[in-house]
Amino acid sequence: MFFKNYRAVLFVGAVILAALFLFSYGLKYDVGQSLVQRLALGAAAPVQKLFTLCVESVGNAWTRYIRLVGLEEENRKLKTEIGELEARMTLYRQGHLEAQRLQALLSLAEREPYRFIAARVIGREQAALAKTLWIDKGEAQGLKPGMPVMALPGLIGRLTNVSLHSARVQLLIDEGSSADVLVERTRQQGMLRGAGSRGCVIRYISKIQDVREGDVILTSGLSNIFPKGLLVGKVVHTDRADAGMFLNIRVAPFADFTSLEEVLVLAGEKKDPFRERKAAK
Amino acid sequence: MMYYILLPFMAVVLVVLQSKLAEILFSGLVTLELSLIVVIYAGFRLELWKGAALSLVVGLAMDCLSGSLLGLFTLLYVFIFLLAWFVSSQIDSQRLYLIAGFSLVCSAAESLALVLLYQWVFGFDMVDKILPVLAPQTLLVSVLSVCFFYAMRRVERLLAYG
Repeated sequence: MFFKNYRAVLFVGAVILAALFLFSYGLKYDVGQSLVQRLALGAAAPVQKLFTLCVESVGNAWTRYIRLVGLEEENRKLKTEIGELEARMTLYRQGHLEAQRLQALLSLAEREPYRFIAARVIGREQAALAKTLWIDKGEAQGLKPGMPVMALPGLIGRLTNVSLHSARVQLLIDEGSSADVLVERTRQQGMLRGAGSRGCVIRYISKIQDVREGDVILTSGLSNIFPKGLLVGKVVHTDRADAGMFLNIRVAPFADFTSLEEVLVLAGEKKDPFRERKAAK
Repeated sequence: MMYYILLPFMAVVLVVLQSKLAEILFSGLVTLELSLIVVIYAGFRLELWKGAALSLVVGLAMDCLSGSLLGLFTLLYVFIFLLAWFVSSQIDSQRLYLIAGFSLVCSAAESLALVLLYQWVFGFDMVDKILPVLAPQTLLVSVLSVCFFYAMRRVERLLAYG
């Protein structure tokens, strides 16, 4: 009856006593090697391992995520940088190629005894009837209609229309173009006419003349439009089977008209101080 | 019966968990004393037998795993449990601000007891640790106890009503 009434009080007292006993035991004998402590440590070890594993997994995943975010940012930055570098490289490459072309044009200008005006091709018309180029120089720079236009390695056409700051070049392959030419090897003269996509043809060379494939064609200088000796093209085909009196000669111009970007306009003869002085005397 | 069988294991898990959390969140500078909150909760919500057993076992687990003097936390937790058990008849555990205040008092008392006991038993002067370590720890217990009681209330409702 007594125990039933005071069960709670007794229990509380027992619990406090147990705690006090444990504390006093710990005060007196605790060296960290008691059975309870060893059991608790033994039980805690796998739990500790499990938690450590979880924490490490989460930590690693987080680190990887952070690294990935960093990598993504870095990747974006590098891609932008690559784009900029590629653009710059293209610019440099264009500059390099332009320099090469201009150097070649300059060598042509230095080689020939003429005064040249360099111009940039700003447009081209390769229609069925007209094969022309537009260049960015005009009257303001001293250009006049009829002036020969050259590109490596020789003649490509002449100026037909000249405005203040631009001009039209009629190419040698234009059907309306004509030039007095001669065969370099035999000095035989003829008339070069444009033939569109077939290149050019030479007319008025007799069938009895010796013209072979591979012969180089130069300007003859007879018409006063083109100076003598400018490279024009190369004979690619001769035909004697035709019923007429003349050979049918096809000529391929040396210049590639599809890739012209800069040209030289032949503006006249170079001024020779020695010759001028002589003429004055 | 299952409660008493599982209790030691759960106590070990709790102590390891709280030390791990403290290590992750505070780099081990502050102890995250979830065990104290559990003991206070036991004082308010569990029967005397179950709560007393819980405070004994959890205190013992703390003693064994935290490397403190054997019986120190057992004694402290038993006293805190009994205090909570007696107070539970006066304080409504639904009022969370009261729980927060009571937890703050319990945690502060525990910290003070630790400082005094360590000074008395080992001659360690821990007064300089009161502000940087024990004060944040006390506040943390107070805040977390509110969260714990709220969460446990939801769990109890869930278990009771589904």
